[in-house]
Amino acid sequence: MTGGQRPVRGRKLADRRVRVNRPHSPYFRYTGPGQLVAKAAASGPTTPGGRFFARVRSLLFGRPLAFEEEAGERLPKKQALAIFSSDAISSSAYATEEILRVLIVAGSGAILVSIPIAIGISVLLAVVALSYRQVCRAYPNGGGAYAVAKENIGAVASLVAAAALLIDYVMTVAVSTASAIAQTYSVVPGLYDIRVEIAVVAIALITVANLRGLRESGNIFAVPTYLFLALALLMVAMGVFRIVTGTAVDVVQRDAVAFGTHDIGLFLLLKAFASGSVALTGTEAIANGVPAFKPPESRNASNTLVAMAILLGVLFLGMTVVADGFGILPSEEGGPTVVALVATVIFGAGSPLFYAFQSATALILFLAANTSFNAFPRLAALLAEDGYMPRQFSFRGDRLAFSWGIVLLATIAALLLALFEGDTHALIPLYSVGVFVVFTLSQGGMVRHWLAERSAGWVWRASINAVGAVLTFVVLVVVTSVKFLDGAWLVVILIPTLVAMMLFIHRQYARSARELAIRPDYVAGPPVREERVIVPVPGIDRAVIQAINVARTVASDVRAVFIFDDPARVDAVRADWERQIPGIPLVVIESPYRALAGPLIAYLDVLDQAWPPDHPSPVTFVVIPEYVAKSWWERLLYNQSARHLRRLLLGRPHTVVVNVPYRRDDPEAFDSPFRDKHSRPDGPPDAAAR
Amino acid sequence: MSENQHPVFNRAVIALAGNASDTRIVHLVAELARPIRAEIVAVHVVEVAWSQPLDADIAGRSEQVQQILDEAEATAEQSKVRLDPVLLQAREVGAALVDEAIERAADLLVLSLPYRKRFGGDFAIGRTIPYVLKNAPCAVWVVREPITEESS
Repeated sequence: MTGGQRPVRGRKLADRRVRVNRPHSPYFRYTGPGQLVAKAAASGPTTPGGRFFARVRSLLFGRPLAFEEEAGERLPKKQALAIFSSDAISSSAYATEEILRVLIVAGSGAILVSIPIAIGISVLLAVVALSYRQVCRAYPNGGGAYAVAKENIGAVASLVAAAALLIDYVMTVAVSTASAIAQTYSVVPGLYDIRVEIAVVAIALITVANLRGLRESGNIFAVPTYLFLALALLMVAMGVFRIVTGTAVDVVQRDAVAFGTHDIGLFLLLKAFASGSVALTGTEAIANGVPAFKPPESRNASNTLVAMAILLGVLFLGMTVVADGFGILPSEEGGPTVVALVATVIFGAGSPLFYAFQSATALILFLAANTSFNAFPRLAALLAEDGYMPRQFSFRGDRLAFSWGIVLLATIAALLLALFEGDTHALIPLYSVGVFVVFTLSQGGMVRHWLAERSAGWVWRASINAVGAVLTFVVLVVVTSVKFLDGAWLVVILIPTLVAMMLFIHRQYARSARELAIRPDYVAGPPVREERVIVPVPGIDRAVIQAINVARTVASDVRAVFIFDDPARVDAVRADWERQIPGIPLVVIESPYRALAGPLIAYLDVLDQAWPPDHPSPVTFVVIPEYVAKSWWERLLYNQSARHLRRLLLGRPHTVVVNVPYRRDDPEAFDSPFRDKHSRPDGPPDAAAR
Repeated sequence: MSENQHPVFNRAVIALAGNASDTRIVHLVAELARPIRAEIVAVHVVEVAWSQPLDADIAGRSEQVQQILDEAEATAEQSKVRLDPVLLQAREVGAALVDEAIERAADLLVLSLPYRKRFGGDFAIGRTIPYVLKNAPCAVWVVREPITEESS
């Protein structure tokens, strides 16, 4: 790239200097010989409309970021706990209620069983957490279920894990948002009627924040997470104290769900267990995010995981005990949530602590939804890189976010919320199945990992993971069977469908890669095919002349094809052609059926058939003159035939379509005033009009 | 200037020699310029031999020369400071630097001095630094690179 030069005088007569223009500087930066890096201006819009759109985008999503601006934040344990635990800990806000909603159909006596069920789920939580500690140690680079299953079990198992994870992330957004809105209308009941609208707006806001490149910034997460933890632990402690001291009194609820008359049987118990096991969702988040921890990453991650599991266990069990102690029951549709009722009883309705707790609960649930906005696009990008999802999912947007994944997640979650009318309990049955598929595959993969690695202590480690795998598999079977009719069937269908879709995409990409691959020893030689150029012309005008000039630079064998339906014009066009464009043969095809593209393609076929069979078929360049439209409405008026022809020629063997646009603000190419009675210099040229 | 204050300058011209010291002085000046919002102009002068016309197409064609200024620009950006890169062709580097500093009303001119011990341990200070020290009307800083085993 050279620049123009301007001499500048110095203080002394002889001290002249030349300032060298650097035309590349606004757009590129040299980083080595023949190596340029594009600056933001190189990707900037060039049209007024594009600039306006870019300004709006910039206001909404922020200015574009370069790769080097990506924050490489390493998290201390306290911040990591807040970031990775919001999903898991927030599930304590609705898990107790899900148990009670199942047990209430069996009458007041059945409610007492909620505590043993909560203890059982807490034991399961402990086993899962212990198992995931092993993942943290074995996969310091992040051991998502997809990665673990891919490495240790196989491609299909990893895709099952991926499909389950994708569903899990979508459900996290839907359930957490629905639950957060439920906390809100527990305080302001009037909001119940517009809960779906609020949920969709909330998801839209989280989407915009993530498209802007919201990172898992420690402080954003730390404040609401620790506020929730502090208030929830305080609430549980105060509640347990009142139960122990005998000052707990049963709450009188006007809108409580009426007790049922069903017998409490094994099915109901299992169903209550399956509903409550939603508390375990999000437990795997820390194992996925080990690289984000400060060194020693594995140890810090596994310690944080233990802390998270203890906190979640205490909160979940505590809330269940307190709800039971005060006789709190789930409310009818639109009533306050169980956790809101517990807060009302402990802190007092309308007290500052009650409002603070409800706000913190809603916030931590929104943050839990936000964690999926980080995880889903990353997993989708990973799958896209492995060729199991469309490549667009691995492309990063202006703000380094995986925009496609974010938008897809938001769309599906919003649709789900609208479909289920923002009802947390209706969504829950779809939630747990995917989570336990992920747990089982991850733990199963870890067993194979230890069996293959056989490092120090492998028997003990493999045993922990084996217990985890078996236990989570049993729960998976239970969850699937008892919730099948409530909606789990959808997930059972969806997981294999997603796996089949991913395998199909992978096969397509693999096939195209095979078709495009070249041998490593291949060296490109000179072209073996001859070239010829066909220029379809609608007469003679500036666009046609320019296209002919371009055609002449491509090959020596150039011919123009004039397809007409008005025989009266032919002689005049031919006479002018021979006079004004000498040396380029004009083939005239009459089209009594008024078609343009059909006869041209037939003519190309005839040319191919006439080619000597012992010679390789030539490359045919079809050079199409076009008139550059300046505005959107001009685009409707011009080049329709050219576009149609281009579409038809796309994919024709050995055919290259070249568009030669004529810009009317560049008329100096035609020195003398252009005179042609067959074209209209003052109006739209023939090439464009057709 | 008190010892506790930042050096005050409004516009600094940095002379880029095209060696490893460039990054050091650009970073140094950029870090000093950021809090006081001073302007930085980075100048690289390509010396044109008398056998060639002054406006011969030399510097504009050289990717290596462009890279010197582009790297300086990138270094300044890391310090969140904008740098104005200027590419010059001249017979004398020193005169071109001084003239450019005067034209741009710079109050500081910064040059780097690569440490090269030659022929028994003297600095190869060249012609440019003494010329600038003698003729520049503004303050001049000459930044010597640290002495390492390799450079000595």
